Amino acid sequence: MSGVAVGSQVAAGAASARPKKPLRLVRAVIAIVVIAVVAASALGLDISWSSLLTAPKALAHIAHLMFGPPNWSKLPDALSATMLSVAMAWFGTVIGIVISLPLSLLATRGLVPAVVAWPIRAVFAVLRAVPEVVIAVLMLSVTGLTAFTGALAIAIGSIGTLGKWGYEAFESVDRGAIEAATAAGASRSQVMRWGVWPAAQPEVLAFWLYRFEISVRASAILGLIGAGGIGKMLVDNTQFRVWDTVGILLIVVVVVTMIIDQVSGMLRARIITGRWQLPLVGWVRRRSAARLRDASAR
Amino acid sequence: MTTLTAGGADAGRAGSALNRRPARPRTWWKPVLVLAIVVGATAWASAAVGTDPSALWRNGHNAVNTLTQLFQPDYSFFPQTLDALGETVQMAVIGTAIGVAISLPLSFLASRATNPERISYRVVRFVMNVVRAVPDLLYASIFVTVIGTGALSGIVALVLFNLGIMVKLISEALDGIDRGGQQAALASGSTWFGANRVAVLPEISPAFLSQTIYVLELNIRASTVIGLVGAGGLGMLIDKVRTFYEYHYLALIIFEILVLVLALDLLSSYVRSKVVR
Amino acid sequence: MNERPDAARIRFDNASVTYPGGQAGLKNVNLAIEPGEFVAVVGLSGAGKSTLVRTINGLVPISGGEITVGEHRLRGLSGKRLRALRGEVGMIFQGFNLAKRTTVLNNVLMGRLHASPTWRTLIGAWRADDVELAMQALERVEIVQKAYVSASDLSGGQQQRVAIARTLAQKPKIILADEPVASLDPPTSHVVMRDLQRINQELGITVIVNLHFLDLARRYGTRLIGLRAGEVVYDGTAADADESVFEAIYGRSLTADDVLDARPVELS
Repeated sequence: MSGVAVGSQVAAGAASARPKKPLRLVRAVIAIVVIAVVAASALGLDISWSSLLTAPKALAHIAHLMFGPPNWSKLPDALSATMLSVAMAWFGTVIGIVISLPLSLLATRGLVPAVVAWPIRAVFAVLRAVPEVVIAVLMLSVTGLTAFTGALAIAIGSIGTLGKWGYEAFESVDRGAIEAATAAGASRSQVMRWGVWPAAQPEVLAFWLYRFEISVRASAILGLIGAGGIGKMLVDNTQFRVWDTVGILLIVVVVVTMIIDQVSGMLRARIITGRWQLPLVGWVRRRSAARLRDASAR
Repeated sequence: MTTLTAGGADAGRAGSALNRRPARPRTWWKPVLVLAIVVGATAWASAAVGTDPSALWRNGHNAVNTLTQLFQPDYSFFPQTLDALGETVQMAVIGTAIGVAISLPLSFLASRATNPERISYRVVRFVMNVVRAVPDLLYASIFVTVIGTGALSGIVALVLFNLGIMVKLISEALDGIDRGGQQAALASGSTWFGANRVAVLPEISPAFLSQTIYVLELNIRASTVIGLVGAGGLGMLIDKVRTFYEYHYLALIIFEILVLVLALDLLSSYVRSKVVR
Repeated sequence: MNERPDAARIRFDNASVTYPGGQAGLKNVNLAIEPGEFVAVVGLSGAGKSTLVRTINGLVPISGGEITVGEHRLRGLSGKRLRALRGEVGMIFQGFNLAKRTTVLNNVLMGRLHASPTWRTLIGAWRADDVELAMQALERVEIVQKAYVSASDLSGGQQQRVAIARTLAQKPKIILADEPVASLDPPTSHVVMRDLQRINQELGITVIVNLHFLDLARRYGTRLIGLRAGEVVYDGTAADADESVFEAIYGRSLTADDVLDARPVELS
């Protein structure tokens, strides 16, 4: 410990100036509450945790049945069912966008009076809270066991999320543009169109795409209650344990979802940053630059 | 018609090369193309799903019927829903706790800012993308078949579901942090683990807490429906009553879901506003 | 104090640094720095001052020649041995490089990371000795009363002093400073330079500072190294360096921007 402590004078005088470690009660209390809640939940549940021990082996066995090899003959069926799910997701999201856009403008504080905004926000909150599956179940009596039901369920469900993200984006717009437009004599709708929308546009387009990504996942699920798409195939084959078909379905769903995620991600990056960020381009450039350098060094 | 460029002294400047009006940018076709693609895709999608607006007319009375019943929940059914409700909340809480705990170290591996190793970075990111691409109900369905019906398969399904989301969100947050402290720690001889643990973790805590609450919301929503395939919670009740088209019962369950999710929504907005400095 | 006199000896033997794009950072640098020296490195931006300082703890790898720090050879050094070298060399930066969202004490304790076992780091249980060292380091730079304050709540000068405390906590043989006062106002700059000077004189730690303010270089350094386009063009005592020497290093006549205390005071 030598080397840092100087004369005893400095040390003694300074040691008494050392602050005490703060207690930070609030943090401790919150931590205790969280741990208590989690523990209570775990203990309160009536399940046999021991079955988790056998699970990994059973899972490995099933994974082997699923993918070694998967049932390639079902690939066309899987693809067409997945395309139907994607169509459901696309159509539902578009309808959701068309309905939610004007509504979220009407829910923006600062553009409309609170009396108008709050009821609309409440509707958004309710629609957001109900899972799409439940909405689909409710709609079965109207549009039947079809993919159209699924699309409508996705549409209604997405109105809530798109609406909320919408008014949040509009409210975070720089006030300057709104002030300028109002000062120049624009009506409320003109302010919305020319002041608010251009500023919020990148963010809004980005979350439209993101919502599509989420809807694709939702549509895969909706099939299980019969609303069309790959969900029904998945659940039926899982429940009858036709694992090799489940395997091919899983592969198709994951690959299609990942492709959509990647494309949507690139589009969103292009919208927000203004530049394309293609996945391998950077790597290719660096490799060719390295080769040039090595060649010229010789 | 009034013009803004007057003659006389200004005519020289207005007519000079510097003041010539620029040609219209030749990218006007881009938004038109995008719009055409979008409209085309929507038309295809609409046909593919079998859009039938007339069904709405024909069966409109069913919709009215359903909606009326929805607004008249059968409250006497409530005691029978308590067990399922409790199970839903418990599954969501445990699923979030486990998932979030596992996601923390994985997130550090999935960000270039905290993981200098090319291989583990790529592998973790890829695996997490795959995990994220599987819908939550599918996980539930598989685990119900493997582990059995009940809350345990629900918890495992929820853990995998929120793991992918959490790792993506946290690794994105890590990509954007201030790395000064980390650089100083590395320059003083620390390992990457030490630098990340001491210098990076405090920077990421607000985002981590905020996203944990967000994921808890997602889990509650998911937890209410995974019972449809047998993974415990309210979903199993929904499955029982939906076949009867007895919307009074269903209405109560939906009402409970609403209360649960909205309460959590309010709580989370409050907590997040306090946490984000 | 220092166990062995040559434990902190720095030697550059024809050291060269070439950046990946092809530009030369350093060209055939030959230097010998003895333990306990206070070296000021000056030169134009891009002359290689920062590169020179950063090769000593391996932040910039050398592409030719050799650098020896004590018993460590820097060419190709990596992994555990690189970390061992860095543990003996403290560094402060122009941007302070503190972890903003945590306390001053935690920042200083980062200097003990190289000597802490992984399990202690994982659960955040520092040894009592380490905490004591950190506190003493804070006392030396006279900022211990801020020990539990969040680092982002400090002024620039205070943050840099915390950074110095962090290096002291390492118990280093050498302290490197890469433009430590470029972001600070004149009075604070002098406080920081004085701290470095005292540490050098009282603890015998070698200090190598990279500066672009020439009056500071002459006032606080005992030895001056001038770089131009990656080469050493002057290596002598600070006292011998007058304006003509600086003009030779810079390749132009000096301006007010090159001198700290010539800056007009801003009345706000």
